[in-house]
Amino acid sequence: MPEVDVDEYSDIWVFIEEHAGEVAPVSWELLAEAKKLMDEKPDDEELVALAIGSDLEDVAEEAIARGADRVLVADDPIFEPYRADPYGKQFRELVAERKPDIALIGGTTTGRDFAGRVAVPTHAGLTADCTQLGIDDEGHLEAGRPAFGGNVVATIKCENHRPQMATIRPGVFEPLDRDDTRDGEIEYVDVVVTEEETVTEVLEREVGETADITDADRVVAAGGGIEGDTGPIERLAEALDAEVAASRKAVDEGWMPHARQVGQTGKTVRPELYVAVGISGAVQHLEGMNDSDVVIAINNDPNAPIFDHADYGIVGDLFEVCDELVAALEEADDPQEVLA
Amino acid sequence: MTDNWTVVVGIKQVPDEDDVTIDPDTGTLNRAEAAAILNPPDRNALEAALQLKDEVGAEVIAFTMGPPTATPVLELAVALGCDDAALISDMAFAGSDTWPTSLTLAYAAEYFDADVGIFGEETTDSSTGQVPPGIAAHLDWAQLTYVADLDPRPEDNQLLATRDVEGGHEVVAADLPVIVAVGYGDNDPRPAGLHRKLYAETEFEPMELDAEALGIDPDEVGLDASPTQVGGMDTADPVEREQEVVDSVEDLAAAMAEEGAV
Ligand SMILES: Cc1cc2nc3c(=O)[nH]c(=O)nc-3n(C[C@H](O)[C@H](O)[C@H](O)COP(=O)(O)OP(=O)(O)OC[C@H]3O[C@@H](n4cnc5c(N)ncnc54)[C@H](O)[C@@H]3O)c2cc1C
Ligand SMILES: Nc1ncnc2c1ncn2[C@@H]1O[C@H](COP(=O)(O)O)[C@@H](O)[C@H]1O
Repeated sequence: MPEVDVDEYSDIWVFIEEHAGEVAPVSWELLAEAKKLMDEKPDDEELVALAIGSDLEDVAEEAIARGADRVLVADDPIFEPYRADPYGKQFRELVAERKPDIALIGGTTTGRDFAGRVAVPTHAGLTADCTQLGIDDEGHLEAGRPAFGGNVVATIKCENHRPQMATIRPGVFEPLDRDDTRDGEIEYVDVVVTEEETVTEVLEREVGETADITDADRVVAAGGGIEGDTGPIERLAEALDAEVAASRKAVDEGWMPHARQVGQTGKTVRPELYVAVGISGAVQHLEGMNDSDVVIAINNDPNAPIFDHADYGIVGDLFEVCDELVAALEEADDPQEVLA
Repeated sequence: MTDNWTVVVGIKQVPDEDDVTIDPDTGTLNRAEAAAILNPPDRNALEAALQLKDEVGAEVIAFTMGPPTATPVLELAVALGCDDAALISDMAFAGSDTWPTSLTLAYAAEYFDADVGIFGEETTDSSTGQVPPGIAAHLDWAQLTYVADLDPRPEDNQLLATRDVEGGHEVVAADLPVIVAVGYGDNDPRPAGLHRKLYAETEFEPMELDAEALGIDPDEVGLDASPTQVGGMDTADPVEREQEVVDSVEDLAAAMAEEGAV
């Protein structure tokens, strides 16, 4: 194996995922967390935001305001919308030239598609879907990821290869507030890809809601049990002033948008209140909601695993329980208290 | 193109998650005792490949990199309708993380002169989803991940895919050869036909390919070629939950109020 000289590598890079000027919130979450990691790095290293896309001036400025010391911008129409092949080639060139020590990427569908593509040619170590990041005494990235429903956290390291890469689940870290007084450098890099070399073409793209459920204080989540009828959970969510979310089953069936999916391949939420309605409690789902303060389960199967992971549960038909609960909440002594 | 497409499908045997237990004393996972099953997302990969066979007469070959005990998943693939199946097995592969795994499977795709390689979204035991893009990167082929639907265009030597993107979907045309990762649950896998099933169980023997057959230098694969190491496994403290099942909606509302949740 070609050994790399790990000492030649420095800086932390954060991939700013952006679609038509709209930045995926996980990018800012990663910048904030990477800024904390910078405390463990030598003083002369930089926190670098990497923005690939088209018309990125605003994105680059926001990256500085959100914590980056430097923004590398590859700005060209070829990068809009995202495609693995041109993004991958551009990234590889930049890595070869600048040798980043660590590269962090959001664990979205786009982020995973991109990370898997670029980790191979650089022979980087890539850890998927982390929820914890740290730097050990020797300066290695420690990437922690839950396994088996969060019962186990595996720490993955990459000692002899660079960059050390990780994808991180959306919603795990808190972004920094935008601070436009921050200083940083915006650097436009050479675009090294041409349309002739690409092997894919996006013919059609339809993006609807990109709701952010990760900040919600209260979440009502729908599962396979709703059978396509979102009425009950929407009424319950309204009564609780909660965001609506879903299990993967409800998303795959097309009842709920992917942006609202909770779990291993969706988002991580940690609200004060999580109400799981007609959700069985599969490990992949639990991983996305286990950090909620109070968990309520509504399910008609007394043996559903979700009851083991809930504070309060009720065995019953969700089509009855939801509306009765709405009525009970509205009857509470003081309606203001309910919504406070 | 006049030749039929050759489609390879990568599948993996995994421990049945519902069967994996945690030893309460040592905190270690009992994976060994769990029943071995086909990685559930790979069912969708097989279905997508078999649909290409139905649509353009492709030849479909399933393969798995794993120990000989993984043969049952190959039999299942053949029972479902794959033309052939290969076991990719060698001591040199032991300890491979996603980098050498994707390298090995890239060699296998080339060995079969594949036009299309179809894979699952991720495995339930390592759940990285990195192997398919890794294969595409090793081969420098086009990649299509999170694919919900395929639309073959042999006349243009292209494969069109509808893929899930955050908050929506897109349709992408890729030049062959191409690596596809099908979204878990994005199609309805067919059952095995009785006749095929009988054949798979009685007559069928998988091809066996080792590192040498694939032209792989043993130094390129296995533990030493794996950039990542597991630095430790900590049992996370299980989240303490009340686990109280209440009898009425009123009690539930009261419990929520008491918790300060409403
Ligand atoms: C690689 C991979 C990644 C995955 N990622 C995720 C992920 O990110 N998020 C996720 O959620 N899942 C994920 N899954 C899927 C997961 O394994 C489960 O299949 C999924 O969570 C099941 O969703 P569900 O519990 O809503 O549906 P079901 O399994 O269909 O369960 C429905 C539940 O509703 C109850 N019910 C039915 N009718 C009623 C009624 N009238 N009233 C009350 N209760 C009722 C049933 O008793 C049952 O418990 C993933 C799977 C894999 C393999
Ligand atoms: N050992 C293997 N043999 C064949 N295919 C594999 C193997 N490991 C992973 N794959 C394929 O790659 C997909 C993604 O796996 P992973 O990247 O491990 O999550 C799986 O759904 C399989 O289709």
